[in-house]
This record gives sequence, structure tokens and C-alpha cells, in this order.
Amino acid sequence: MSLDVKMAWRNVWRNPRRSVLTMLAIAFASLLLVFMLSWQFGSYDTMINSAVTIHTGHLQVQAKGYNDTGDIRLVVPNPAAIAGILEKTRGIAAYTFRADAFSLVTSKERTYGAMVIGIDPAREAGVSTFKELIRQGSYLSAGDIDQALVGELLAKNLQVGLGDELVVLGQGRDGSIAATVAKVKGIFSSGQEDFDRSTIHIPLTYFQDVYTMHGAVHEVVALCESLGDVPEMKRAVAAGIRNLSKDDHQLVVLDWMELIPGLIEGIKMDLVSGFIFYIILIVVVAFSILNTFLMAIFERTREYGVLLAVGITPWRLTKLILIESSSITVVGVVMGIIAGSLITWYFQVHGIIISGAAEVLRQYGLPERMFPQLSVLSVTIGPALVLVITLLTALYPALKVRRLRPVEALASV
Amino acid sequence: MISALLLLVYVFAGPNAKARAQDAQALVEAAVNYYRGKASTATVDMTVHRPNWERTLTITAWTKGRKDSVFVIVAPPKDRGNGTLKRGSEMWMYNPKVNRVIKLPPSMMSQAWMGSDFSNNDLAKSDSIIEDYTNTILTTEIQDEKKVYVIKCVPRPEAPVVWGMQKLKIREDHILLSEEFYDEDLKLVKAMTGHEIQMLGGKLMPKVWKMQKADVKDEYTVLDYRELTFKEDLPDSFFTLTWLRNPRR
Repeated sequence: MSLDVKMAWRNVWRNPRRSVLTMLAIAFASLLLVFMLSWQFGSYDTMINSAVTIHTGHLQVQAKGYNDTGDIRLVVPNPAAIAGILEKTRGIAAYTFRADAFSLVTSKERTYGAMVIGIDPAREAGVSTFKELIRQGSYLSAGDIDQALVGELLAKNLQVGLGDELVVLGQGRDGSIAATVAKVKGIFSSGQEDFDRSTIHIPLTYFQDVYTMHGAVHEVVALCESLGDVPEMKRAVAAGIRNLSKDDHQLVVLDWMELIPGLIEGIKMDLVSGFIFYIILIVVVAFSILNTFLMAIFERTREYGVLLAVGITPWRLTKLILIESSSITVVGVVMGIIAGSLITWYFQVHGIIISGAAEVLRQYGLPERMFPQLSVLSVTIGPALVLVITLLTALYPALKVRRLRPVEALASV
Repeated sequence: MISALLLLVYVFAGPNAKARAQDAQALVEAAVNYYRGKASTATVDMTVHRPNWERTLTITAWTKGRKDSVFVIVAPPKDRGNGTLKRGSEMWMYNPKVNRVIKLPPSMMSQAWMGSDFSNNDLAKSDSIIEDYTNTILTTEIQDEKKVYVIKCVPRPEAPVVWGMQKLKIREDHILLSEEFYDEDLKLVKAMTGHEIQMLGGKLMPKVWKMQKADVKDEYTVLDYRELTFKEDLPDSFFTLTWLRNPRR
């Protein structure tokens, strides 16, 4: 250890209380940033995963324009061909087929408009959490025909229970009138009010029969093994579709960001507002550190005068002070990272229950218990910012010292 | 207003009626009465046109007065027997396959009727133009040597209507030539125009009506009257759920 470093390190501990307080301020800012960023990233993962597994999946193959118009005539005519592509694509965890039609749904007394969704019971369970959302009755099984799963709020609105009949009246793919009577087999609740108030699910084959689909579907829904794989899978599936026959050229592959644009918008907004908060936090910390450093120098003017008088060059004095302040900063940041990671890790394992927010969270389809997510990014971004800004702040007093005149400095108290 | 098209009787104003200076309200009322009449039966082909797709339904319609109508699909065979009953501003639909009658909830009234460009509201509120709007004559023009009144219809403040404004063109002999529907920003949403004016059911009427959406060129619905008869009266029993389930034509 060179003499300068040794001197700087001793200087740090000449006034332990002040140095420790400064370190703690830096540590606290770093800790907060580590935790908050991990929390944000963790909640985004939770949000995306729960939104994706309730309904949309990571990727969907649809006819061009279907996502915007919901026109029943815009179909995936040959779902088996798409299934072939998905089977061959490694990294696709599961896939299923769906068909949708907006229809009138009527109980004995009441009528509501609702989205009727045809699902493949076995495949659906592999892609979405829908099967686990059944609160009463049971999920569809393979042989079911005229059975329906009804959203809890819709069931309440229609005043139907298990076993009751629902009349469904809509329009088929060929423009003909689609009508059928289905029995309520189960009632589901996802927590997403829209979904629970305005959808009923029936077996896909039954749907195709009632709505004259001729074997076509509207969506092929795929789940990737991980969120990070999505862009690559999207490219692979799109390439596969281009190799299909001409009829299938009208098909497009959409990822979850295109399917639920509101979600990614919300995440972006949250990130921006988060960063504004972090910048304010860092600026406050920077000023308090500047204050500490400046005070230290004013108090020690006489000491610096002595050093200058015995022949230290101003540059070396600056270097000394910089080493001193970097030591304080680095120790603070390291403490912050360690403490922040430990605290975050604890909550990552145990989760955090936000009391009172359950209602709001449920609207976004989020579980009550949230888990922060430690990652290299969330642990390093915040502390790195603190480090850079604190060091920049320390430059000012360190350079100011160079203007000291030995005689005047010696004279000050 | 499909029922407008589907019903015609010649009651108040004859073809020779003098084009007196009439105020707009009287003109609109006369036009509604002209095409609806006391009661009527009609057979109409409805063609829904979409890019790359087209479908035609044949419908039999009975109307009575200004408020009551029944429409029953007679072709194609797949949809035969499906019917709609409209009484006042309430509507019911019947499907023979499931043998059920469904009452349309208010929330569904702005949905398309049978996948066409006519909404349920268009059917149900055929005389709302008289009751819910304040009508003023904007201008007059000459078409085929006949005077045509352009009438601006602004909904009354408390009226339960979805449009921000309508514009009607009514010929001096009370034939409705076109009806334009504007939203609350007074932007054109869709327009219905009459074509091929000829003798139908004993009076001059447009034989073909076209409902065209304003923002999409290739999407429209055409109504083509095959047959139209005006009657003095039709029994009330025609406009009941029983008749809807089993119309004897």
C-alpha cells in the first residue's frame, strides 16, 4: 500500500462518526436502489407471466387483421399445419387452439353480450392457468359437447348456476345464424373483471360446429419456455409460416407485447416514473455528500496548510482527498449492495404481501404476494449511478484545495 | 331505418299533394307516414357485402303503424325461420333451431342486425326521427325536376339516441331519398340512400336501399324489395311472440 493510500485511509478514520454517517447515507441510497429496481423488475415479470398465462400466451398465430377487428371470417384455416411448425420449433413449451365469437348469451330471464371462446380442453390446460380458475363445478373434459364454462360475474348477471341452460345466439363464419343451448358445467373467476364478466368457454369442436368454422380456428396460442426466448421463437414461427402453402400466407405471428399493448405501456410508464424518483434520490444523496466533503475540508484547512508548507504538491493533495472520498464511497456502495441484496433476497424467497392493495392488484391479474427479482442489472445499475455521481461530487472540494495558500491556510483555525 | 323501408302506406299525402310551404317537422312526419303507411307486408332481399365476401338473405316483413314490425328470414334454408319482433323500442329474436325467444338487452341495441350494416337500433327506432329530433330545413335542391328538401335533424337534449345529427333528403312528394347518420363530433358514420324509384305497392318508392359505412368503401348492405303491399290493417296477433315463433305466411 502506497503512502498516499495509507494516509487517505487514516484520514477517513480520523473522524469516524462523520465518515460512517457518510458511508451510511451512500449505503442507504444504494440499498434502496437495489431493492426498488429488483422490486420493479420482479413485479414486471409477475405481471407479464400472469397476464400471459391467464389468456394470451407468449405468441399467437392469427389471420392478418383479426387482432384489430375480431372479424369471425378472418381465420387460421388449417391449424394442423401451424401445429406442425410449433412441434418442430424447439423452445415452444405448449400450444393450443382457440376460436372466438361475440354472441348473445341468454338465461331464462336475462340476456348479455359475451365473447364465446372455443377451447381445446386438454391443450388449454398446458398453455393457460384457466383450468385452475374454476371455482364451481368442473373443467371441460375431452368428450364434452354442449357444456359451457361461464365467468363468475357473467353467471351472476345471468343468474345461472351449475347445470342451468344458456342460449347462445350469434353469427357463424359463413354469415349464417349460430344458435345453440349449452349447460353450465363450471364457473370460473380469474380476478380480471372484464374476462369474468364477458366470456364463456365451450369445447372447440362444439364451437366449430355451431359457428360453421369448417375446422378453422382464430388463434393458435403458444407458450415459450422462457420470456427471453419470445423474440427468437417469433422469428422461427414466422419463417415456418412463410414456407407453408399460399392460403396460409395471410397469417401473422403476434407476441404478447402486441397482444396486450397496455401491459408494456404500463411497464414503460412505471419504469420512467421510477427513474425520476431514483434521480431525485441520488441528487439528494449527492448534495449531502458534497456537504460532508466540503465541511471536512474547511475544518482541515490548517492541516492542509501544514502539508503544503512541508512541500506537498497541490496535485498530490488533490489525489489524497480523492482517495479518501472514493474509499468512503466505495465502502458505502459495497455495504449498500450487500445489505440491499440480502434484504431483497429475503423477500424474493418469502414474498411481500401488500395489504389493502389486493383489490387493485387483482384487476391487473396479479397475485397478492409479490416477489422482487434480484438480477445482475438490478443490483448494479443503482449503486453504479450512486458511485459515479458521488465521485463527481467529490471532485469539487478536491480541486478547491489546490487554491489554498500555505501561509493563509496555516493561519486559519 | 329498415322498418322505414319495409313499410309503406299511402295515407296522408298523395302523389299530387302540392308542395306547399311546409315546415320541416311536418315534412318528416309526412315522409315517415308515406313509407310506413298503416300496415304493410313485404319480401326483401338483404345483401351484406364485404371485401371478398357477400351473403344474401330473403326476409318477409310485416309492419303496422309507426312502431310495430316483424321480420322473418325465409332463405337461405339454413337460417329459415329466424325472426325479429320489434314493438316500440323493444326487440326480441327467435331462433327455430334452439326454439327460444331472446329479448335484446339495451346494451345490444347498437350491434349489427344479422351481421348487416343496420343496427338493432336502426330497426327499433324507426319513428324516433319524429319524436326525438328537432328538424329544420337546411336547403332545397332540384333533382329530376322535383324539389328536394335537405333536412337537418338534431336530437333533443334528453332523447335516447346514439347519433349526433342526421340529415334527410325528402322529395316534394314525400319520398325519402337518403338518410345520413353523424356521430357526436358531427362526422359522417354511415349513409342510407334510395335507388330505382318506381311503383311499389301502389305508390312511388325507391326499390333498392343501400346502407354504406362512411370510412370503408367496400362494405355495405343493400335491401332490394321483391314485393311490397300496403294494407289498411294487420291483426295485432301478428306482432306477438307467438307469431314470431310460428308465422303463417
